[in-house]
Amino acid sequence: MSNWAVRVSDVSKKFRLYHERNQTLKSAILRGRTSKHEDFWALKNVSFDVIEGHTHGLIGSNGSGKSTLLKCLAKIYWPTSGSIDYRGRMASLLEVGSGFHLELSGRENIYLNGSILGMSKKEIDRKFDEIVDFSGVEQFLDQPVKNYSSGMYVRLGFSIAIHVDPDILVVDEVLSVGDEGFQRKSFEKFLEFKKRGKTIIMVTHSMQVVEDICDTVTWIEKGTMMATGKAKSVVASYKRSLD
Amino acid sequence: MSYLSDIWGSRELLQNLTNREVRGKYRRTALGQLWSLANPIAAILIYTFIFSFLFRLPAQVGDPSGLNNYALWLVCGLLPWLFFNRVLTIGVDSLVANAGLIQKVYFPRIVLPLSLANATLFTWLLEMGVLVVALSLLGSFVLPWLPLLAVFMVVFALFSVGVAMLLSIANVYFRDLSYLLTIVLQFWFYLTPILYPVDMVATQSDRLGGLAGTSVTLLNLYQLNPVEGFIEIFRNLLYDNAMPELSRILIALAWAVGAFGAGVWLYSKKERQMAELL
Repeated sequence: MSNWAVRVSDVSKKFRLYHERNQTLKSAILRGRTSKHEDFWALKNVSFDVIEGHTHGLIGSNGSGKSTLLKCLAKIYWPTSGSIDYRGRMASLLEVGSGFHLELSGRENIYLNGSILGMSKKEIDRKFDEIVDFSGVEQFLDQPVKNYSSGMYVRLGFSIAIHVDPDILVVDEVLSVGDEGFQRKSFEKFLEFKKRGKTIIMVTHSMQVVEDICDTVTWIEKGTMMATGKAKSVVASYKRSLD
Repeated sequence: MSYLSDIWGSRELLQNLTNREVRGKYRRTALGQLWSLANPIAAILIYTFIFSFLFRLPAQVGDPSGLNNYALWLVCGLLPWLFFNRVLTIGVDSLVANAGLIQKVYFPRIVLPLSLANATLFTWLLEMGVLVVALSLLGSFVLPWLPLLAVFMVVFALFSVGVAMLLSIANVYFRDLSYLLTIVLQFWFYLTPILYPVDMVATQSDRLGGLAGTSVTLLNLYQLNPVEGFIEIFRNLLYDNAMPELSRILIALAWAVGAFGAGVWLYSKKERQMAELL
């Protein structure tokens, strides 16, 4: 297995759980700094490879640590120990429309958001029409986004994110934005992405989605990896554990 | 080194975020960017009335420019201070205010304070442009000093953003820091020779002599304030049309390199923990 796109090696992540969190200078000076915390291991020694071109699912019950792992993969959190290596450009899609400036127009926000997500100006210029087309907000392109409906807002956000066109895409359950028509459209975009041989890592609760599009799956429970491998067999054992 | 190349790689993002600040700020206001001039103009009117007209502060004659105008003399020091003040007060919140973004997308976090400083620098540039025109009309031969002025504006901006970066990270740990900062800046303003000349401090300092039996004078303590040196430099260039003292230039450069270096260093250390600390 040498053609990995993402290699997660022995990743652990520790959080501090605060019983009493001191976040002001006032209490630090008046009472001495008394933050009490205990360590909580959200992830313990997780290792797996994602093969190039595969779609990899992360599953597990609520609070299992899969979102923490996803955030580590998206470089938002850094593992306490272990490492994650990438071959190719990684982009993450954890929330759509973060970083929009409400007073600025849709057009300006495409450039702003695109560059936050790591696109160059040239790239955005090139993809601009596609982004606008896909989002379906052309008519309102020069309106400030604060006047957008919530549907238009997420559609534009999603459309920018999906056009970043990375080699590795890390997504949370964002497939469920917009109305049904837009959901279908974005799902097709994912499939097209997959067809072009890109690597996708996604968190989802829907076993249907996993069985439909994931090649491999990692199952995490209470921070430890229960199984990793072919989607079918991992999902089967996951389902068995639920019964 | 890889951290610096990371920053270099996100210069387009920096530019876009700067645009966001500049354009977003005065959107949908009748006067637009002109609003940024309103604040300094109000301050000039008030301070000139109080300190020059009521308190009769001694005349400040520029050497060799020969200017004698309190309002102009005041603005030459006030505008750099207002810039410094804005960079710090906006910069201190740059991480906490963007918590949502930091927790959802990866990008070098340092672009947040840098873009705010850039946007503020833009406003300052506008103000200084107006000042240079006013100075030229009123008899200061400031044009030959403009290149040097530009250099020192950059140096002062580096110093300011360096301090703002340090504060922004401290503000993540202590959320009441921004309130404290407002008070500190108020003291700092009056402890910097903006409204009054340093000579007045020197006079009092001579009268007192060495403090508490040492050879340290009040003036020595007073001049520990790095902004004091910067203000003097700006006044030398703009109002006096003279070359600042070399020692002053070197100290200013050292402060700028030190503050900016410390800011970048702290960001490179803390950047990875930012999302969970917020």
